[in-house]
Amino acid sequence: MAQQPLPSSVQPTDVYGGDEVSAIVLDPGYINTRAGFAGEEMPKQVLPSFYGHITSSNRDVFGDQAMYPRADFEIRNYMNRDSVVEDWDAATKIWEHALVNRLGIPRPTPPSKNGLNNKPKPAAEGEDVEMADEADLDETENYEKPMAENPLLMTEAAWNSPKQREKAIEICMENWACPAFWLSKTPVLAAFAAGKATALVLDVGGSNTSVTAIFDGMVLKRSVQRSPVGGVWLSSQIRSLFEASEPKVEVVPTFMVENKKPVEAGQPADARLKTFDFQISPSFRAYEEERVLKEFKESVVEVWRGPGRYLAPGNEDYAKNLPGRVFEMPDGSNQMWREQRFKAAEGMWDDNAAFPSATEEGKITKAQTVPGLIKAALDSIDVDVRPALLANVVVTGSTSLLPGFTDRLNHELTAMFPSVKVKLHAAGLSSERRFGAWIGGSILGSLGTFHQMWISRKEYEENGPGIVEKRCK
Amino acid sequence: MSGSTGKWREEQVLIICPGSQTTLAQMGCNELTPPQHRFPTRMFPDPGVEGQFRPFHTYKRPKTTAGVKGEGEDDFDWVEDVDSLEGAIYPIQAGHIVHMEAFLAFLEHVHQALTTTYHNTPIMLMASPQWTKADCEVISRYVFEKTKTPALCLLHSGLATQYGLKWPNMTVVDVGFEKVDVTCVYEGRVVGHNDVGPGNVRDSEKADEERKRGISGGEFFTKRLMELLKEQGFDHEMAEQLKKSPVCEVLPYAAESKELMELPTEGGSATGSNGTATSSAAPTEGPKIVTTVVGADDDLGIDGDEKVVNEEGVLDVASLVVSGQTREFLAKQEKLKAEKAKAGRKGKGQETDAAAAAKARLPNSKRTKTIFHYEELVTEDVPIAPPAAPAPSASAPAENGVSKDVEMADSGAAPAASTDDAGTTPDEPAAKTGGEQAQPAADTAAPPAAAQPPAAAPATERISRRVRRDIEVGLERFLFADRKEIDRIVTTIYHTVQGIDEMYMRPSCWENLVFVGNGARIRGLKDNIMQTLQARHLISPSSATMFTSELPSNIGTPSGTGSQTPTGSFTGQLPTSSSVNPLLQAATTAASLGVPGGLQGQIVGADGQLQTSHHFHSQTPTNIKLATLPTYLAEWTKNGFEEAMFLGAQVAARLAFCIHNLDPAGLEAQRSMSFSRVDYNELGPKGIRSHSMLI
Repeated sequence: MAQQPLPSSVQPTDVYGGDEVSAIVLDPGYINTRAGFAGEEMPKQVLPSFYGHITSSNRDVFGDQAMYPRADFEIRNYMNRDSVVEDWDAATKIWEHALVNRLGIPRPTPPSKNGLNNKPKPAAEGEDVEMADEADLDETENYEKPMAENPLLMTEAAWNSPKQREKAIEICMENWACPAFWLSKTPVLAAFAAGKATALVLDVGGSNTSVTAIFDGMVLKRSVQRSPVGGVWLSSQIRSLFEASEPKVEVVPTFMVENKKPVEAGQPADARLKTFDFQISPSFRAYEEERVLKEFKESVVEVWRGPGRYLAPGNEDYAKNLPGRVFEMPDGSNQMWREQRFKAAEGMWDDNAAFPSATEEGKITKAQTVPGLIKAALDSIDVDVRPALLANVVVTGSTSLLPGFTDRLNHELTAMFPSVKVKLHAAGLSSERRFGAWIGGSILGSLGTFHQMWISRKEYEENGPGIVEKRCK
Repeated sequence: MSGSTGKWREEQVLIICPGSQTTLAQMGCNELTPPQHRFPTRMFPDPGVEGQFRPFHTYKRPKTTAGVKGEGEDDFDWVEDVDSLEGAIYPIQAGHIVHMEAFLAFLEHVHQALTTTYHNTPIMLMASPQWTKADCEVISRYVFEKTKTPALCLLHSGLATQYGLKWPNMTVVDVGFEKVDVTCVYEGRVVGHNDVGPGNVRDSEKADEERKRGISGGEFFTKRLMELLKEQGFDHEMAEQLKKSPVCEVLPYAAESKELMELPTEGGSATGSNGTATSSAAPTEGPKIVTTVVGADDDLGIDGDEKVVNEEGVLDVASLVVSGQTREFLAKQEKLKAEKAKAGRKGKGQETDAAAAAKARLPNSKRTKTIFHYEELVTEDVPIAPPAAPAPSASAPAENGVSKDVEMADSGAAPAASTDDAGTTPDEPAAKTGGEQAQPAADTAAPPAAAQPPAAAPATERISRRVRRDIEVGLERFLFADRKEIDRIVTTIYHTVQGIDEMYMRPSCWENLVFVGNGARIRGLKDNIMQTLQARHLISPSSATMFTSELPSNIGTPSGTGSQTPTGSFTGQLPTSSSVNPLLQAATTAASLGVPGGLQGQIVGADGQLQTSHHFHSQTPTNIKLATLPTYLAEWTKNGFEEAMFLGAQVAARLAFCIHNLDPAGLEAQRSMSFSRVDYNELGPKGIRSHSMLI
């Protein structure tokens, strides 16, 4: 019974205590942007960080709902592969969309609408409604400060540059008029969510895997290690796997399939595809293919649990005898995956096992594997701290949800540090692992004692954006 | 009002389920009946007091005392016009509260209309998923400050449906007026939600245009019908009625055909030898509109056939639909029509008996054309005849179904007008095909009459008559089911269920789909959605699946619960392989887990619990099913479970407000279900976050 997730009746409902101010927590990542109120257990809004751009009308659309095949439609991302904001204009828009439109942060009522300044209206009631609507539109457009009542806690990658940080507080203070601001590093918050002040945080995210040592709530700067070995990289490995398999497996994203008929395993698909009278852009197709790969990761890919590497003698043969899993593509073609499903993820642990990548960034070195990162992180910090860190290894990020991931990590760590007690902490609920940093932010933001830490608007006005570098260490 | 321990009687609870068009409300939840009251969700600005709202359109009318028109400031009457929509504010649009003041005024209006006791009425208010936290706080604040309500419970509409249908896990597809909500509920918790709709209308960047394009749900289909039938002069009301009529349906999903539905063809519809004649004649014909004024003197110009239709059709459409005899009725209808044609009247003269008879036997979905009976209320100002004038045909208004609308006082003028009206009708259809001829002659006669005597006490009276027209519609009644729109809903359902974080929750959400919301009443819509889902997304048991694919992987699963750590105690090989033959184990466990390979159907639903104890990695959906609807509530079965959320709100109200004798744990749970005045005093409006049923 110990292995089953908490039943929903026992799931914590509101353990973080009340908050006096409704602080907002914003956690931008490469794949998703999470936003919600501090004190809640889950982010209310999880938006893709990808957004649609309609080239013909030069318009941006946000949210999953807008991502359907249309003409002149490109998919872009406001973050770059380093999990750092790249396009600040788009970032501002997407954040405002998440916070103001989706989360429904009440705009402070403009004076003309609060009912105190109403003039008697002419008797022509029929036109009244429309006029009011128009006025409303103008007003909200002109009304630039949407969040004058909510402090904002934002997260950043541990390697964020000072310039980026200043830009963040600028937007928050100038564009949104937040009364208070705080910038926190994701690994600190993830450790916080796990209830640790000292921890070695392994964050296996979408575009990055990072290892960060946290000591007493502070990031040990020298320890920060990262590599591209994350979900996106794993997808590229799966693509290589598809390429290498015989016959080649083609990914047909769901949106292209009108309907399908069951076919025997390994047989070509018998599906009716949709036709579009416009060009589907490669970026949209890639975005949709990623959904299929995500499903493949969820239901097929597994981490070789160890002991020993997958390539160690005997293991591969053993894996071949393990029950395989069938994966059906959106177009109906299906196939059994046996030992390959272990191989796809093995590159995260063993650079020799990785599929050769066509692109330069797809290639990884030994230092970029998960064990390599951990080793490098620990090598760069004081010997005395290491046992404390290894006893508090926090695993977070959605790619760490691959079956067998924690087992393998445990094997690797005990093999690497045989004399030290290694203890992993990995949340059982998927959502807790996916939103680790956000949850940490939610806890932090709702703490009464945290209120003294915020950078207030006044401080910002006195010191300028540089204050963020001084205060948020 | 003692709050925390105060329990209420079931008759005391006020239940309100607001929708963007209609709000269902009822006092008491002791009977679990379909809603007793339906309020249109709209308010009108009060012309007298700025910032106040009234439930009906209200206008000033000069006071007339003894035939003298008053002129002073005070010489006005405020008149409420119950039918007018002028200046209406719809506070909820596509689920979002767009006009909070009006919405609160509306709540107040409903509250006042239904409650009699002074302060002992707890409120169960259903909330759309689109309501923001701030909305909920404003509402709770208003309720506690402006009314004497002892307790308020906000209930998520998806959960409400779940309470109504009592399955612990389900996917609720709520087809509303302008939006479709897809909510996944697992063990009483909302685990996934998405909506199809215009998004938040507060979005300033979104032009109105964009919003209109974004709408989904029932209104989308009405708009589509309107667009298709624009040339035949269909207005919104006509399209709406056509959508609701039995002739309008979404055809089943046909995977093979080009349009993905099997449209009836001319050849198929007219099987007789005259098939070609019909098909060549039909396109040129255009719509036939036969206007009939119910309640007019039947002898004047309306032949016998029409009269039969009148008597049967108008009065019984509702009961016909309910009793399921629509097909017979339509067949009869068609036959009468054909007979009429044969009799040499103008109309579709080309049709022969044989063709008509063959046609009459065909179900609606096989016919290219059919007749739709459109009914409308024509309201017009008619001068009241001088009291001295005799009332010639007082019997006329009495015999029709709308006699309550027509006052006896104006029968002097009204029947005269309508007689006139009716008299012209037989000629009208041939001449005009537009939609405006409903009040043909009366229109021209009445306005001058009304306008003419301004000085001499303009005693006009508003009367409503029910006018019925038969309109022939073609394939538009199938084509309105826009493929793109259905695909949008289907895709949203797919992404929502597949987007649930915990994979083991997905199968049971796929196996208990339920469609609610009155938009789902469109014939064939939910069947089509289900068929599309099955044709497109169902993972069929593969030939390779037989034993192995969905093996419950209880071999060294990663730690399931929060904070544990693998102990690192693995030594040597993994446990299963050496001792047990994996295939054998798969076969045995598969039987008890209900994985494909045999015993699927019966078991999965029953032991959803068992599945959760294992880590579940299989691909979903392997099974897409509609949830079984309860049959023990006869009234609801008759009403249809499209309004199941109201039933659920009643059940939840009982649980939250009326259950006594709970154990301490239950008591605690019950306390957090609703927000009592005591809690409000302690926590303020934001206490609603923890004391509600919103997630």
